[in-house]
Amino acid sequence: MLWLTIIFPLLGFVLLGLFGRRIREPVAGILASALVLGSFLVVAYLYLQGGAEVWIEDWLPGINFSLLLDPLAAYMSLIVTGIGFLIHVYSIGYMKGDPGFTRFFGYLNFFIAMMLILVLAGNYAVMFIGWEGVGLASFLLIGFWYQDLKNTDSARKAFIVNRIGDLGFLLGMALIYSLYGTLEIAELRAVIGAAGALPAALGIGAMLLFVGAIGKSAQVPLMVWLPDAMAGPTPVSALIHAATMVTAGVYLVARSSFIFSLFPWVSYTVAVIGLITALYGALSAFGQNDIKRVVAYSTISQLGYMFLAVGVGAYWIALFHVLTHAFFKALLFMTSGSVIHALGGEQDLNQMGGLRKLMPQTHIQALIGVLALGGFPLLSGFWSKDQIIAATLTYPFGGEIFYGLAIFTALLTAIYAMRWYVLVFLGTYRGKAHPHEAPAVMTVPNWILAIGAVFAGFLAPEPWGNFLEGFFGSTLASLEVAHLEMNNELLLIAVSALVALLGLWLGYWFFSRPQLPGWYQRFAAVSAQAFYADTLYQSWFVIPAKAWSIALSAFDRGVDFFYRGLAGAVAGLGRGLAWFQSGYARGYATWMFLGLFVLLLVGVWGFN
Amino acid sequence: MIIAIVMAWPLVMGIIALLRPQWARGVGVWGAGIELVLALLALGAYSLDIPTGIEIPLLAQAGIYFALELDGASAILILAATITTFLAILVARDAPRSMVGLALLMLAGLVGIFTSQDLVLFYFFFEATLIPSLLMLGLFGGAGRVQALLKFALFTLVGSLLMLASILSLRFLSGADSFLLTDLLAAPISGSAAGWVFAGFLLAFFVKAPLFPLHVWLPDFHAQNHPSGLADAMGTLYKVGLFGLFRFALPLFPETFAAWQPVLLALAAFTALYAAWIAYSQTDWKRLLAYGSLSHIGLAALGLFSGTWEGALGAIFLLAASGIYTGGLFLFVGMLHSRFGSTEIAVTQGMLRHTPALGALALILVLTMIGLPGLAGFPGELMSLLGAWQVSPLWTALGFLAVIASAAYALSAYQKVFHGPPAEPSLDLSRAEWNFSGLATIFIVLIGVYPKLMSSVIEPSAQEFARLVGGGL
Repeated sequence: MLWLTIIFPLLGFVLLGLFGRRIREPVAGILASALVLGSFLVVAYLYLQGGAEVWIEDWLPGINFSLLLDPLAAYMSLIVTGIGFLIHVYSIGYMKGDPGFTRFFGYLNFFIAMMLILVLAGNYAVMFIGWEGVGLASFLLIGFWYQDLKNTDSARKAFIVNRIGDLGFLLGMALIYSLYGTLEIAELRAVIGAAGALPAALGIGAMLLFVGAIGKSAQVPLMVWLPDAMAGPTPVSALIHAATMVTAGVYLVARSSFIFSLFPWVSYTVAVIGLITALYGALSAFGQNDIKRVVAYSTISQLGYMFLAVGVGAYWIALFHVLTHAFFKALLFMTSGSVIHALGGEQDLNQMGGLRKLMPQTHIQALIGVLALGGFPLLSGFWSKDQIIAATLTYPFGGEIFYGLAIFTALLTAIYAMRWYVLVFLGTYRGKAHPHEAPAVMTVPNWILAIGAVFAGFLAPEPWGNFLEGFFGSTLASLEVAHLEMNNELLLIAVSALVALLGLWLGYWFFSRPQLPGWYQRFAAVSAQAFYADTLYQSWFVIPAKAWSIALSAFDRGVDFFYRGLAGAVAGLGRGLAWFQSGYARGYATWMFLGLFVLLLVGVWGFN
Repeated sequence: MIIAIVMAWPLVMGIIALLRPQWARGVGVWGAGIELVLALLALGAYSLDIPTGIEIPLLAQAGIYFALELDGASAILILAATITTFLAILVARDAPRSMVGLALLMLAGLVGIFTSQDLVLFYFFFEATLIPSLLMLGLFGGAGRVQALLKFALFTLVGSLLMLASILSLRFLSGADSFLLTDLLAAPISGSAAGWVFAGFLLAFFVKAPLFPLHVWLPDFHAQNHPSGLADAMGTLYKVGLFGLFRFALPLFPETFAAWQPVLLALAAFTALYAAWIAYSQTDWKRLLAYGSLSHIGLAALGLFSGTWEGALGAIFLLAASGIYTGGLFLFVGMLHSRFGSTEIAVTQGMLRHTPALGALALILVLTMIGLPGLAGFPGELMSLLGAWQVSPLWTALGFLAVIASAAYALSAYQKVFHGPPAEPSLDLSRAEWNFSGLATIFIVLIGVYPKLMSSVIEPSAQEFARLVGGGL
């Protein structure tokens, strides 16, 4: 029965792909949404029944095709199908009238199917099917409006950068297989858990898997594809490039926590990469003037937080943030989508402003999203982010420096979130279009997300309650955690809350000013270029790769010329020996037989 | 006995098609279609342990036998070759009629290559298959066909003459009773003589794999062959060098192989990365595909040269699958050529607008080529990787960098044709092209989603290979 969760959206993909011309909107959208809802219900039902699994022995020799619905997989599947369903419904409104309406929903369903394979996989090889499958879905959807080459260039860039990560995943699998002869996650857990001494190479295997996570989750240094991925339709950004696919890297580390937790050097590396990414994303968000790119850099930054969490060993907290982030970030993207939709495709923040009155519902939704992202007390983002920050002090692979940088990034987050809000919704409208509120098919899903963005944090409002950690049970590695006294814990929460409030107020105060000071403008100019990462990669990697390709082509022709020279020399020799060429067939035959005879002689006696 | 029928059928059909060109298409489609049924029957017989082989003394005094036998690897390779030939004949309507007959003759030769149990017989098929391939290129090739033909013929003939010398020497050095593989395996030779004899095999198979530095005939071979793609698809199937290494060269010389293994692995890894990188700057589809497929041969060779059963399984799997998808891509180029009269990548753009079905076909084939999981290209690459890593993580990692390069060259080429503002409208798939696309997609997806269909058949052969080669490792 677990098959059904994958078959439903896959069926949608096949139907919409094959009969795309006969299924018109909105039928395609309704069908696709219903199938995702079906998946959601099946997952929920099976989880309540106590889990499920699929097992095909020796899919490839020694590699089983196994799917397993354990609490961790159920948690991720419910996020994917639940939020996926809302975004499907929203898209019925957003994609209205697009000539590719049916194709769009086919791709979306394909994505859901692949994402489910990824999170349900009980075997790394099976996970890799989903891993590259969602990459393909991402490629197809970023380049959805394929007639504009800018979009398809972004799509290709995303796929190729992801492939760098995927190679890491592949090599990591090869290393693990060479050590243990299996890629079955449950078996590996058992073997590694029981082993006394660990092979040092296993740490490198974990590192290689992490390279895969870096690619998929847009961490430094492979973050450059995510901002460009905004070329896709906005629901795609919400679903794939915020709520689900990009968190696959976090899921991979959490799923492999039984390996990562054993290698402190790997865990510290993960944490440091996460922290750098969190800071980088936050700093880059300031200079963006595209409504979606601000949110995109914010996503990079929040993913950094999640990696900080899995790095220090707080696996369940990372997954907590996956959930809250899925709500508030999907909400931010979809309200951005509503704004873009209302302004007839306008994405420039300088052409917005004053939408508070013109789009009242969207305004409230966006405000909830901004406050949740900024960590406004009691909203979902507050609880999960606060716990990540606190975890840097209590979990084994943390430290005070991590704490300091994490809280500083939280301050920045609140400021840039408020900048986005001020520029879009406050002040007076600066554009020329005639904004209108989004239709109900778009606002209703947003309200549901908004409710999640407000209340999802109460799944684990530490230290007053925690329903989540126990939910995951033994699917995550458990580590020795230093327990703080209640007073210290409350102090940390108070600091987080104050930092968030301060940041939000600073953002409001600073960006409501008509003229920004010069030092900020200089900073914003660098930030707008995301610290020149793209320019750097272009000149360090992309152009040299192309140049080398041309050089190697030339070299290959050189090899060809070498053989031609050789042939020429032989031909010259041949002219010298031309008297052999009597022109009579019997002459050639004689020489052939003589030649063969000599060869035989050499063969028989030559080597004795 | 059934093997003899599987071989004789396309031979007879091919001759009929050549003698009666006006019937060529019907004979071709039906001949290849029935051959597909025969190949499936042979596979069925093999899996049920029903004897399929044949062994008749040809020159008993000289120890030469007409001995054919089916095992898992050969059954799968024959099946893949038959599917590819069938699909190619089905869709390549632009191909001259006599090419259909030549394609059927090649198929017969391939069956012989894959099933020969006698080295002289193997040599015969290895050479005989060359003739139709040369004829296709020489009769129907492009403007530069003479030079391409000379290059192809010289490389192949030099290589295989050395192999012949090796075959003859091997028999007499080892003192085996015959040229039968079983007899030769039972009487291994060693020392420096073994090195020379092994080298003869190696050269022939490196040319035919092909692997760097003996690959230079390949780009011109494809670029100059008839644009319909039929000759290219058959040429792809004829790249049997790795099979020769798998069946004969490596098991016969396990010790020499073990000594040379590091160099062989390095060459395989280098070929994989080098070719993929070159493919990135190609402007002609055929050259791009030539280098792309060369790169995949490198990845398969990495697996094979690891001497592990995983690697061998991956190599054979990859060879079988690449027949279908590389052949399919050449046929796709034939479709482009029939619409625009050129195989240049830049010949058009934005085709997706008017020809969505052709775009879907091209995307599926391209994604299969770059090894996307769930499609037929992936299982072979994965197994090859798992095998190769056990022996040499360094060369494996280097060779598999091609995975990144392949995404770059393949997707760039696809996008140049199908994305962007639409150029002049063109026709979407014709009926024959639909049939081809549907069948090719079914095979590719079926094998990709459920590789067990193929891997479970190949596995015993791969285990046997590892056992034979393992003696030296």
